[in-house]
Amino acid sequence: MRKINRKLLSNIIIIIFMSLFCSVFMLPYVRMILDSFKTRVEVMKGTTMFPKKFILDNYRTVFQKTPIVNWFFNSLWTSTLVTVVTLFTSSLAGFVFAKYEFKGKQLIFWFIMATMMVPAQTTMIPSFLIIQKLGLYDNLFAIVFPSLVGGFGIFLCKQFIEDIPDSMVEAASIDGAGNMRIFFMVILPLIKPTLSALAIFTFLGKWNDYLNPLLYLSDISRMTMPLALSFFTSQRTSDLGGVMAAATLVILPVTIVFLCFQKQFVRGISITGMK
Amino acid sequence: MKKTIFPYVVLAPMMLLLFVFLVLPILGSFVIALFKYNPLNETGNTFIGFENFRRLAADELFNISFVNTLIYVFIMVGINLVITLLFAQLLTSLSSNKWRSLFRVLLFMPCVAPLAAVSVIWSKGIFPVKGGLLNKLLSYVGVAPINWLGNPSTLMPALLILSLWADIGYNIILFISGLQSIPLDYLDAAQIDGAGPIRRFFSITFPLLGRTFSYVTAMTLISQFQAFAQFAIVAPNGGIGRRGYVLSTYIYDMGFRNKDMGYASTVSLVLFFIILIVTLVQQRLNRVDWGY
Repeated sequence: MRKINRKLLSNIIIIIFMSLFCSVFMLPYVRMILDSFKTRVEVMKGTTMFPKKFILDNYRTVFQKTPIVNWFFNSLWTSTLVTVVTLFTSSLAGFVFAKYEFKGKQLIFWFIMATMMVPAQTTMIPSFLIIQKLGLYDNLFAIVFPSLVGGFGIFLCKQFIEDIPDSMVEAASIDGAGNMRIFFMVILPLIKPTLSALAIFTFLGKWNDYLNPLLYLSDISRMTMPLALSFFTSQRTSDLGGVMAAATLVILPVTIVFLCFQKQFVRGISITGMK
Repeated sequence: MKKTIFPYVVLAPMMLLLFVFLVLPILGSFVIALFKYNPLNETGNTFIGFENFRRLAADELFNISFVNTLIYVFIMVGINLVITLLFAQLLTSLSSNKWRSLFRVLLFMPCVAPLAAVSVIWSKGIFPVKGGLLNKLLSYVGVAPINWLGNPSTLMPALLILSLWADIGYNIILFISGLQSIPLDYLDAAQIDGAGPIRRFFSITFPLLGRTFSYVTAMTLISQFQAFAQFAIVAPNGGIGRRGYVLSTYIYDMGFRNKDMGYASTVSLVLFFIILIVTLVQQRLNRVDWGY
């Protein structure tokens, strides 16, 4: 009986402590959203937490004065395209590395893994020059092409495809299924959880990326959301309400998606981090 | 499996993409580092051997950025690991799944927001002297207003607070799943032997968390050495007193503002070797048998 009470007490203490901490932790969000509904003067004064009167002017400004719909769709289609292609290339390459023997396999795999550890800042200058030479500067494909194949995804898929028994692949092969048919009918259905985790991280990484758009995009209408927000902020230093409204619009989509798929997020981090 | 050319057919186009957008740039950065390279220079770029490397030692801004990077990364990773391990332990010991997932979701929320947007909110809404949320909160406990971004000694602490806020959720999740994979029998046995919660943590939980801990440490180190968006946005040009200059922003400014790409590549190789060392150490540690 005493033990149960102690457990209950420690639970209550932890819940109270974490609730207090999380309330403070969430304040930047509260601040951002509340400021986005204040008048310009009220935001600048910064004395009130809640707006005296909720106004939508800041959002109207953002939609009227900026191509935010463009920015949204730029982010959306580049991130989606990269995610779909990355899933395909990662699983296909993972399949080949896990289930086939061929000359140079170890070397090629080691080589792909080695490319993973190179920091973006080391490759960005030559990459910029290459993108320019290819005529892709200020073109959204400049942030798409370099991300279509990734060592992380290949590694992840290889690990999970290796767990699939060889006998399943062989059985399909004896039944007359070709390589691609085995890939689509046998392998892909079995690694769905891995693929959904990979999809989440690829999409999020691309959607949130700041460095690559900063390097390759300069026209305002071709920017992606994070870059556009920092650009907008530097243009409207005195319009804090507008900045907060824009920030809310940038943060909202990913946050909503996260809240809807939080179970998959948590599971995804656990399986990708632990393998 | 039987021999086919299928692997080569599959890998060839992927290797081509990797070659153009990753291998070529890596090799390129080693080559450009040997040149005085300005893309706008029409008369051509001169080969200067290791001149750029010699320049590093005498370059005060490089030294500042280098030291700032080390300060940032080690404090950031140290505090990050302590906080996330503590929170993970607290959340794991909760018996209620509902509360645990609620806290986990809240703590992870900033991780899905673009770091650039987080940086904008903090630099415009949280840090300012006038009307900033942080000073307002501190005033309740009697702390006088601090000019976080306008004062050389508080700029780096401000950047650390922002980065911690944006990043701790990720490691909390990793540690929770690491902690949950430790068999309860060990902890129960220790408890019966009379070990208190702190003793249990240091004698059982922490050693058994070895592999997770080494993985999380290495990943956090590697990603923080490359931290860019918050420094570029909160501390442009290094911020006040250049206290916010780190290698990643220094490389960017050198290469794309000053158009001194040869020298910027040289600095980027320093970052490359730092990360290479971290990776090799992690690989070595991973060979240790952590199993139970």
